[in-house]
Amino acid sequence: MSTDILYRLRGPAAGPAPGAHRARDTGGLGVFRDQVPFWRHPDARRIDLRATLRDPFEGTVVRRFEQRRALEVWALVDASASMRFRGRGETWALVTELCTALARSATRIGDAFGVMACGARAETVVPASRRRGTAEAVADALAAIEPRGASAAGLAEAGASLAGRRKLVVAISDFRLPGPVLAALFERLQGHDVVPVAVEDGAFDEGLPAFGLIELEDLEGGGRRRVLMRPSLRARWLSREADRREALRRLALRYGRPPYRLADRFDGDDFSRHLLGTAA
Amino acid sequence: MSLLSRFGVTAPGWLWLLPLALLPLAATAQRRVPVPALAMVPADGLSRLVDAVLTLASVAGIGFLVLALAGPRLAGESVVRTGEGAQVSLLIDRSGSMNETFAGRQPSGAEESKAAASRRILEGFVGRRAHDLVAVSAFSTSPMAVLPMTDRHDAVRAAIRAIDRPGLEATNVARGLGLALSQFGPGAPQASRVLLLVSDGAAVIDRRVQPLLREEFAKIHPTLYWLFLRTAGSPGLADRPAGEDTPQAAPERHLDLFFKSLGVPYRAFEAESPEAVEQAVREIDRLERKPITYVERRPQHDLAGLAYGLAAFALGLLLAGKLAETDLAGWKAEARRSVRPSEDPASQPTRRAA
Repeated sequence: MSTDILYRLRGPAAGPAPGAHRARDTGGLGVFRDQVPFWRHPDARRIDLRATLRDPFEGTVVRRFEQRRALEVWALVDASASMRFRGRGETWALVTELCTALARSATRIGDAFGVMACGARAETVVPASRRRGTAEAVADALAAIEPRGASAAGLAEAGASLAGRRKLVVAISDFRLPGPVLAALFERLQGHDVVPVAVEDGAFDEGLPAFGLIELEDLEGGGRRRVLMRPSLRARWLSREADRREALRRLALRYGRPPYRLADRFDGDDFSRHLLGTAA
Repeated sequence: MSLLSRFGVTAPGWLWLLPLALLPLAATAQRRVPVPALAMVPADGLSRLVDAVLTLASVAGIGFLVLALAGPRLAGESVVRTGEGAQVSLLIDRSGSMNETFAGRQPSGAEESKAAASRRILEGFVGRRAHDLVAVSAFSTSPMAVLPMTDRHDAVRAAIRAIDRPGLEATNVARGLGLALSQFGPGAPQASRVLLLVSDGAAVIDRRVQPLLREEFAKIHPTLYWLFLRTAGSPGLADRPAGEDTPQAAPERHLDLFFKSLGVPYRAFEAESPEAVEQAVREIDRLERKPITYVERRPQHDLAGLAYGLAAFALGLLLAGKLAETDLAGWKAEARRSVRPSEDPASQPTRRAA
């Protein structure tokens, strides 16, 4: 049982039900928000006596309290064949772990959690639900999915199904996507708080061998290639990866949060820090 | 004949396995490492070269092995070439008198017989020019075809070495000449043809045979050299006998006359000593230099060794590739090893202390 993942929405929540997140709505309970004239909020139980007596225009002042709202949290999971990769970590297992932990944390504080698997098309595998068993349902559903296909165009499509109130959308992919799909993904999810989670692997990072011959095979059917690794090629490879990561970061920052790098193993606390730290 | 048309295999059945050579285009011996996207790999010319070489080596490895099993060979052939030399028909006297010295005695001590001297000198003559075609015939009572026209000079030398074996009695020049002429055979009409008669005496040529010989000489038209090993004191070619000038009385003189009347280039060398013989041979060597076409025979060449060698080379390349193989997953184990210490509770206090 992993630790809870703590998260906060960028900006006020606008969920359907009372919940754990700060919202614009006001209600009778919670943290004090402001004082308004009685006619704006005719709730006799919340009349602020001191303020009313102090008011030079002899108006009646009512206290308003923040109404906390529940959220809908959605995970958009890239289900193309590249997610089958196993390097230092097992990509799909990491994704499952993250989604399950997020589902558990979300349902525990009354948020709904849903999962969409995005191959060539977006497909809702677990509808957003606040039920307690959601985490298990998510784990089962993801275990049943065999990532396949070369396309992850469904990621861009998913925005259409997620219309409505502002949601926390966790987009999990390796983000090795064609430029237009990537742009469309962020474009269509503009109304929501998008947290890109880039699944990577240490094997393509500092784990790259400096010497030797490797025969690489594209998981998405892009053929195979023999590569003679040597320090110069390794340096080029790493700088290319760094460039790609930087480009993704810039794109993501334009729409809100920078991407979270999920590599090798899943650390719930680290993810929480990222979610809270970038929520400002 | 082109190289391809000479190429053949001994067991063509094996060649049905040749399509196996295309196998490496589909499969590979290397461990395939799956990656999310090949686009992440930077384009690299050297890698592409190595890939091409290794693929080619795998195709070649299987291909050459199959080919080697089939037993490849280059069929033998005869190549017609042009060199400088002559067709030389040696006609050597094997009569008993050849065993004597130039002084007309049995050789003793450092003296050498006429046969031995001519053997020594002719041996040198044959070895001197690579493209000479030489035939060797001998004659005494009857002619002996020792060696047909050939460019194998070792064989010729061996035949010449045999001429100082003790000879037989009589001298029958006419039949010997007939045989020596027949050694030329057809073909190579532009080549210079040399008939070298080595003898120490002569005999009467039958009047009935003379027209036949004339006809043969006219047809073949060789240059005739007569190396006359003259015994000291015996009559020379130009010496008229004291009595009647008949062929029986002076056979050498009349043979010389007969040769002169043949209408072919003719030259006689009267040699009274080994040095004179050598000089005569050198003279012939100098005179007879014309382009000659000769046939070079090439034996069948077995290519199985070459095919195995090429296959071994290709397999060596593949082996080198296999040994140079590295893996991303190999780093997985190392990563696990490096991760474990930080999860190890024993290391936690140290970190806190730091």
